[in-house]
Amino acid sequence: MTNAPDRYERFVLPEGVSKVTRIKDTRITNAATFEVQREDHTLGNLIRMQLHRDPEVLFAGYKAPHPLEYKINFKVQARDTTNPETVFRRAIDAVDTEIADLRKAFTEELARPRDQGNFY
Amino acid sequence: MVYGRDCDVCDGDTQCEHCSVEFTLDVRCEGDSTLDVTTFDLQTSDETVEPADVAAARKAMEEDEKLLKGILIVKLRKNQEVKLRCLARKGIGKDHAKWNPAATAVFQFEPEIIINQQLMETLTEEQKQEWIDSSPTKVFDIDRATRQVQVVNAEAYAYDEEVIKKAEAMGFPGLVTISAREDSFIFTVEATGALKPETIVLNALDVLRMKLDGVRNGLTMALMEDPQMMNYQMNGG
Ligand SMILES: [Zn+2]
Repeated sequence: MTNAPDRYERFVLPEGVSKVTRIKDTRITNAATFEVQREDHTLGNLIRMQLHRDPEVLFAGYKAPHPLEYKINFKVQARDTTNPETVFRRAIDAVDTEIADLRKAFTEELARPRDQGNFY
Repeated sequence: MVYGRDCDVCDGDTQCEHCSVEFTLDVRCEGDSTLDVTTFDLQTSDETVEPADVAAARKAMEEDEKLLKGILIVKLRKNQEVKLRCLARKGIGKDHAKWNPAATAVFQFEPEIIINQQLMETLTEEQKQEWIDSSPTKVFDIDRATRQVQVVNAEAYAYDEEVIKKAEAMGFPGLVTISAREDSFIFTVEATGALKPETIVLNALDVLRMKLDGVRNGLTMALMEDPQMMNYQMNGG
């Protein structure tokens, strides 16, 4: 007898569950909450920091509501020149591009013959 | 090879050839001396999959055959034998640490170290050396030609501030200023031996992109289902 949670429960999206759900904020204008399933601080922090770089973002934050709820919530408020969905999407694309660039630079550096004497 | 949880063939049983590799061990000690059974005695069912130390040894083999010794599993006495079957499965560190290929992964901000050379020149040679030696790690040294104190390894600085305290104690405050550059950092990855550190970094970057892709697709889907989202689509998303 055990009440151990299912092995993959923590990181595999269960059938019938949406990866992203958008909840419109009814009290604050041009704001929304994006609930992302089966992700944690790895993406949460990354996307939030990118949102903070965007001049069209008024507020951006995320939280992992509970260690046993395998999801994160982003709260985004955008300027009236745009909307939360657009800036959220833009942040994802920007981080993605940055990682792609980093990967390219890393691969190029690996291909370069390295100075053996400098390693310890 | 697929992850056991994704295997359609055995339906999550993680026992079939698509999601696992079988290793067999079948050794008997016939001689009088103790027999070491090692990872080298494991017989793989798939030649592309073998224990990490065996793979490394295969490379080293070309250099010196004598150096080779597998990881000890058990020792056998005369007439003892061991027979067993092992299953190697693919997994991720989030599921169980045994699958984590990284021993340590850590980053530090690159230090920016500026020596006040004008003030430094007022020190005697002995004082300079005394100050250099106050750092627990070798960050500074005296240039043999110019006799100037210089930074030889900024990365070795551990933010211990020992040299700053030492300068103050010696009556030379402001001898050195050290700040952390926040736009540049040193990332250190130490592997367990299962994968090369550069492979771990590249895999990590790929996994991050995969995760971002998952959220991007999820967002597109969430907004498609939502009739209110006409305005988002008009903006080109
Ligand atoms: Zn299978």
